[in-house]
Amino acid sequence: MANQGGAQRPNGPQSKICQFKLVLLGESAVGKSSLVLRFVKGQFHEYQESTIGAAFLTQTVCLDDTTVKFEIWDTAGQERYHSLAPMYYRGAQAAIVVYDITNQDTFGRAKTWVRELQRQASPNIVIALAGNKADLANKRMVEYEEAQAYAEENSLLFMETSAKTAMNVNDIFLAIAKKLPKNEQAGQQQSRQRGVDLSQENQPSGGCCK
Amino acid sequence: MESSRDNHIKLQMRERESDYTNLQPYRIFCGTWNVNGQQASEAINEWLCPAEDSEPPDIYAIGFQELDLSKNAYIFSESVREEDWYKRIKEALHPKAKYKKVVKLVRLVGMMLVVFIRKGLELEIYDVMSGTVGTGIMGVMGNKGGVAVRFGLRDSTLCFVNSHLAAHTVEFERPHTDFKDINSRMLFGNRTISDHELVPCFFFFFSSENSLLFCSIVIWLGDLNYRLSDIDNDACKKLISDGRLQELMKYDQLVRQISQKNVFLDYLEGKISFIPTYKYDPGTDTWDTSEKCRTPAWCDRILWRGSNVGQLCYRSHMACKLSDHKPVSSIFESGIKVIDRAKQRQVYEDVMKQLDKWENEFLPQVEVSTMEIKFKDIKFIEQKKEILVVSNTGQVPVQFEFIPKPSDTNFCEPWLSVEPSKAVISVGAKCEVHLSVYVNKDTGPSLNSGKARIEDILVLHLDGGKDLFITVSGNYIPSSFSSSIETLVRMFKPVTDVETGSLIEIVSASTSLQHLILTIDQASSPNPSEDPPLDIPKEIWRLVDHLYKYGMEQDELFRQPGLHSEIQLIRDCLDQGKPRLLPGSVHSVAEALLLFLEVLPEPVVPYEHYDLCLHVCDNFTQAKQVLQRLPTSHRNVFKYICAFLRELLKHSASNFLDARFLGELHLNGHQSSRTAHQTRADHRSSLLCDAF
Repeated sequence: MANQGGAQRPNGPQSKICQFKLVLLGESAVGKSSLVLRFVKGQFHEYQESTIGAAFLTQTVCLDDTTVKFEIWDTAGQERYHSLAPMYYRGAQAAIVVYDITNQDTFGRAKTWVRELQRQASPNIVIALAGNKADLANKRMVEYEEAQAYAEENSLLFMETSAKTAMNVNDIFLAIAKKLPKNEQAGQQQSRQRGVDLSQENQPSGGCCK
Repeated sequence: MESSRDNHIKLQMRERESDYTNLQPYRIFCGTWNVNGQQASEAINEWLCPAEDSEPPDIYAIGFQELDLSKNAYIFSESVREEDWYKRIKEALHPKAKYKKVVKLVRLVGMMLVVFIRKGLELEIYDVMSGTVGTGIMGVMGNKGGVAVRFGLRDSTLCFVNSHLAAHTVEFERPHTDFKDINSRMLFGNRTISDHELVPCFFFFFSSENSLLFCSIVIWLGDLNYRLSDIDNDACKKLISDGRLQELMKYDQLVRQISQKNVFLDYLEGKISFIPTYKYDPGTDTWDTSEKCRTPAWCDRILWRGSNVGQLCYRSHMACKLSDHKPVSSIFESGIKVIDRAKQRQVYEDVMKQLDKWENEFLPQVEVSTMEIKFKDIKFIEQKKEILVVSNTGQVPVQFEFIPKPSDTNFCEPWLSVEPSKAVISVGAKCEVHLSVYVNKDTGPSLNSGKARIEDILVLHLDGGKDLFITVSGNYIPSSFSSSIETLVRMFKPVTDVETGSLIEIVSASTSLQHLILTIDQASSPNPSEDPPLDIPKEIWRLVDHLYKYGMEQDELFRQPGLHSEIQLIRDCLDQGKPRLLPGSVHSVAEALLLFLEVLPEPVVPYEHYDLCLHVCDNFTQAKQVLQRLPTSHRNVFKYICAFLRELLKHSASNFLDARFLGELHLNGHQSSRTAHQTRADHRSSLLCDAF
């Protein structure tokens, strides 16, 4: 090599950007959209509108050696849209299953989601369990230990979060970013089409990855 | 897209470089000398380390031209001179510091470039590359041209070019061309220059990263061969001896060309306060006394490009006398970039955050007029329309498309149609999406029976953005049309008077009955003992009866189409069980009858008996036997229709019908979608004729 000097070219932090598809699942009104809003825009709306569809946003997380770009699909929680969920978790490398710590039913529903992901999603999907509304501790119905034990059994990342106070919101995304495999393949795959490309006749349909 | 994103990040990082970059001063000595092929016979300390330079430079970049004019240098790329000169250089470096070579030397024929760096600092350099460009004979030979060395130092990239451009006093276009050539062709090959290995003439590594343009600092030195124009020798020498150098400088071709921006764009040259370095009688300070008696000129120059470069001195060295040129040198103090990694990371995160913000802002956005489309009373074969308005409220054009749900191939139920299903909406514009519900014989049966409902979710996908779920629902009014014969014979009230729940019961009862032919499932029938099934559906009876009463003499009966609106009224009349007289013309009633038979979920002759019927079509006895095997209600309908047709034929004088036509019409029409319908029609009509 021409390197007679010995020093290495200094690496910028921007050396490598990996892109991942992340989906949020969970019962309606547990705070999926609020978590995303907090993470992406640092905002919180007390009366967040119900998501009817699948919202899409991107957010980048800088790690020491890599930059992780999340393509976030925030899904509708209402039961009647359940059958549409595979469109969004299909091809996802990460999922956050959200429940509301003040509502035991939502925890049960979260477990159902986890099972569905374990059966239907890609086998090495990174799943995180988020017990949201942690600021409402006085109304707690799901014990931390119970959820943690469940998460451990199922090898899930687990955190109690609060979109309202921002507690653990960035942290849970960061934890997922760290856990995701950063090989070459991961960074290059799932590059989404953005903008309008009229030249493409047969656009792959689906909200899933392309 | 992603690469433009990467470029954006790079650009942003470059623009904000000063936020995270410190400058560290480095002292750079540059020297150039055209030695006219002379041997390295005198000391060159006077040039490389004159007494006034008390502080040792950090970097030395020393260029020679006409180092070797021998044939060997051209042909064999070998030179004995270079070793000698190299030794001389090493001896002449500043004594207060120790130096290490960056590249021992890069030489192209007579052009040689040597770069040294202070010992210790060599650990800070990387990616050392060198390149040569010949612009001499044939435009490529190395008697003229340039050699260059570039390397990274801390977070800057430095490049030194030593060139010997072509001379021409009259037409000074030539040096420009050479300059442009070198500038565009000087790309650096990723190669080590070993002792006597000469860099192949060109390195065309077209990675733009490596070209001269992408170096933070370029110092260009050499015998650039620009002369003085429009001034004669004597006047020139007079100005020199009078010390009026600035006046003389006006005649300098390079100065003129630079001011006209013809050449060395973006390069700077310091003020020249030394007398021309060309042309002397070798060994003296005497101007050229040869036959040519050249006018003096500043051939030997040093220019630079890049920010944070300060020139400390620019001078010639009269003490070096062996060539017809005097050597020139310059010392620069340049700020070498040193990146603060922590700050850089912060800026990078900022840039990414901003980019995310933009990306999210520029995602396609739409508003829809409603998320729930409700169709009011939907009736069989009656189209209902609704409009969904999609408005582009985002900042980019939107391409939307309705996409299928998991495990579906179509994006909507068969009774629904959506137009357009895909479109592009420009910013601020709207698109009307027309939705229409139309229940036909394919979708009618399950809707009539209550097994299916008018309910669907449309997934409106924005290309590169989110999805919206549009719920479509409606209230379907069950109809006798498209209900099964078995169901209808158990329905004593008009369809619309039957509760949905009991409708499903009736249907399931009739379904199980179809399997246990003729065995009535007493338990699940509402009032089994009191109400045995009707012989035929009352709707068929009403239609036929109407035609029997009012249509037997009608010319063109069954040939002339009815009105769709009248057929809808007839349908309502049948389904609601009132009024007694069917509305509309007999043609409409006739068509309603045909339609009624056509949309039966299970035809009068059920699917499972088709093949057998085909088989026995020429045999009256067998045909009668087959008839016996049909479910009672179906057999009744068959007989009833046949009896009616027979009646109809009695009036053929006035209605001009014949058996074949009617047979085809009735039985073909009722199975129009079947591929073998023609055969069957033939078969059925023959069966009919037999019956007659």
